[in-house]
Amino acid sequence: MPTRCTLSAVLLLAAWPLVAGEITEKNLRFAEYPDFPDAHSTWGSIGYSAKHKKVFVGVTNHRDREGIVEYDVRTGEIRLRGFIDQLANLRDYQWQGKVHTKLAEGPDGAMYFATDGGESREEYLMDHPHGYGGGFFFRWDPATNQLTNLGMGLQYDSIKDVEVDQVDGKIYAVSYPQVRFLVYDFQKNDLRDLGRMGSDHVPRILFRDWWSNAYYVDWRQRLIKYERDGGKLVFARDSLPAFPGTPGERIITGITAYAIDQPNGIIYLATYGSKMVAFYPQKTGIGRWEDLGGLYDDPGKPPYDYYVPNLALGRNGKLYYFLGGHGMYAGGEPNVTLMEFDPKQRTKRVVLRFPLHVITEVTGCDVKDESGTMYFAGRRDDRRARRMGESGASRPFLLMFNPEKEIR
Amino acid sequence: MRRTSLIALVLAAASLVWARYEFFTPKGSFAVEVSLDNAPYLRLPIYRNAITSLEVIGDYAIGGTSAESGLRPFLFAVSLSKRKLEIVYPLEKTIPGQRAIQSGFGRGADGTLYAGTMPDRPGESGHLIAVRVKAGAIDVIDLGVPVKGEGVFTLTFDPKAGALYGISHPSGKFFVSRPNGGAAEVYEQTAPNRRGFSFLHEYALEPADVLSRRLAIDRSGRVYGSMPANKLFRFDSAAKKVDVLPDPLPEVWGRSPLGRVDAWAVASDGTLYGGNAGDGQLFKLDPATGKVTNLGKAIMMPRLKGIVFARDGRLYGIAGGAPGYSHLFSYSPSEGYRDLGNPRFPMVEPDLEQEIPWRGFQLGTLAVSEDGRYVVMGEEEALSQLMVFPVE
Repeated sequence: MPTRCTLSAVLLLAAWPLVAGEITEKNLRFAEYPDFPDAHSTWGSIGYSAKHKKVFVGVTNHRDREGIVEYDVRTGEIRLRGFIDQLANLRDYQWQGKVHTKLAEGPDGAMYFATDGGESREEYLMDHPHGYGGGFFFRWDPATNQLTNLGMGLQYDSIKDVEVDQVDGKIYAVSYPQVRFLVYDFQKNDLRDLGRMGSDHVPRILFRDWWSNAYYVDWRQRLIKYERDGGKLVFARDSLPAFPGTPGERIITGITAYAIDQPNGIIYLATYGSKMVAFYPQKTGIGRWEDLGGLYDDPGKPPYDYYVPNLALGRNGKLYYFLGGHGMYAGGEPNVTLMEFDPKQRTKRVVLRFPLHVITEVTGCDVKDESGTMYFAGRRDDRRARRMGESGASRPFLLMFNPEKEIR
Repeated sequence: MRRTSLIALVLAAASLVWARYEFFTPKGSFAVEVSLDNAPYLRLPIYRNAITSLEVIGDYAIGGTSAESGLRPFLFAVSLSKRKLEIVYPLEKTIPGQRAIQSGFGRGADGTLYAGTMPDRPGESGHLIAVRVKAGAIDVIDLGVPVKGEGVFTLTFDPKAGALYGISHPSGKFFVSRPNGGAAEVYEQTAPNRRGFSFLHEYALEPADVLSRRLAIDRSGRVYGSMPANKLFRFDSAAKKVDVLPDPLPEVWGRSPLGRVDAWAVASDGTLYGGNAGDGQLFKLDPATGKVTNLGKAIMMPRLKGIVFARDGRLYGIAGGAPGYSHLFSYSPSEGYRDLGNPRFPMVEPDLEQEIPWRGFQLGTLAVSEDGRYVVMGEEEALSQLMVFPVE
């Protein structure tokens, strides 16, 4: 049953005092995911259908169940559309731990995503009867509310992120833990494995430009471009900017979030080394980039030591991100900090801070509707979920934010 | 603040208690960046660098690569003391039209390495090559075609006999050749006949799935390899005769079509140790009796792509592989098997001076330095690197 979006007003009141500016908690709105009592987390698994004016989120119990949640922007209704295992007739041995990819709108108006085993159970049990078979590609059609299983990627590997070619509908994907770059023409059932692009850590973000070239990073944090016209990979010669002393573990993790400014020909990138980068793609070749500086300034802490797994560009030309997660936070008490970054001025400011029982971590890149409201997959600390254990145990919710108007 | 710190400490302690595995990262281990596309440094380009032949001569780990269809392979040399790729040689400079150096290296007494090549197009011919590293350069000599219209799938060299022994692809014929020329002697007993190929077709297996991946030579100069299905053969160079040994490769019941030797190593007492690709069993073969003893499996997965004896007396091997991941393991009769998992070694390179962790998923080759101190592993990837660990 659809549920009218409820405000988590009590939670929002827990937001710490406003630090700067005119944005208040009234610019934010939280919606709970209905009919999924053991929902545990979300992992960048969010996307917007411009055609249907709906936001879709893949919500998981991080064990064997992923729900497809739909939020209707026009009516404000949020509903669970079903569970993937039931909708796709998966057997027990085809269990999936989560959706870790974005839900990307294809040229046909359908939403494309893929699944992930999640943690060590996936990575090490493998061919054991308790093991993980591999991640599947899926197509959700908002017009008919039908889920189609497009088949598996690589045996035993999860799929961490996808993008969709807006011309011919090919799916770009990256696998876990082998960091393999995949190009899947599901209409021809042609899956190309273009090889391993990293090693010890799988960068979680794939993004595309407006020509539908897809981008990833290698272990040196150099951009890799899948040039759709040539059907091949192109590697940047130089690495993206990093602060001196950035540890190798942060370099190999690459990009954690992006936001697209097509009118100005820019894609903004947040790196795991806590840099904001303005990338200027070009149709052929890699293109140039500019170092816009750090994501947060604290003289008492190394500048590379922040985590930003989300980003969105406002209609006001400013970038917004919720800084913090995975045990890495800014400020005194652990908290998630809503930041505003002005790319023209290269300035940033703290907008709001939230204690972890209000927001623990936020994922999602540039998911926004025509009114300028941004949508993120939010999570908050939750004692009951934490008892379930596993990475990311929390209570997930849909986070809406409009920097230009109150939405409560 | 105090409460938060306490919680963090408790969580950290709990994670230690519940840690599920440790990566094998012995002191002194390192990874060398051999491949990097569009590199500002000396590196191998993408899709031409799967390290399918590997040997250590002095300070150099010398590799032969395999390329994807339509592309050409390389020979390369990595200095172990400098931890650096120093020399790259495109094979096409000497022999055009070849795709892979996957035969493994045979080693001459003077440090010359011998290998065979696989042609890019079916029906064309693979060559024998001699490889020497000297004065900071790789020198490659074309020794000609041993079996016309076939590739060289496997090769080894007996310095005492001055003979090269190989398996051709796709037929699976055994051949004997000499570095100084002359026509190869070709033996057809190791090649599946029509009925054999029909049998393999039933299991959807290609010659590349079942031909002997490596050959071994015992102290008497006899040559050992495998042949479909699941058999071991021995070539007596004095009698010029191929015999099928009475003992087959160790078998998981019903999987004999998959059996072949993936790797060999000769122990200090002359016993041959082998790995069966089909199910990943390690076995030993007594050259005196021809008896094969199944030593079991290091891990659940098939394949045993490399085994070497290091100076600590242990045998080190690489088990598993695609679609799973390689596991490094050690074995000794007293300790049994120890699964060392996916090795993860630090990589320090120009512009990566702060070090990144490198984890090997698809390890295809294994070699040991002449003093047994360094075990060297080659990846088989689109962008393959070399991984090295010392043995104390």
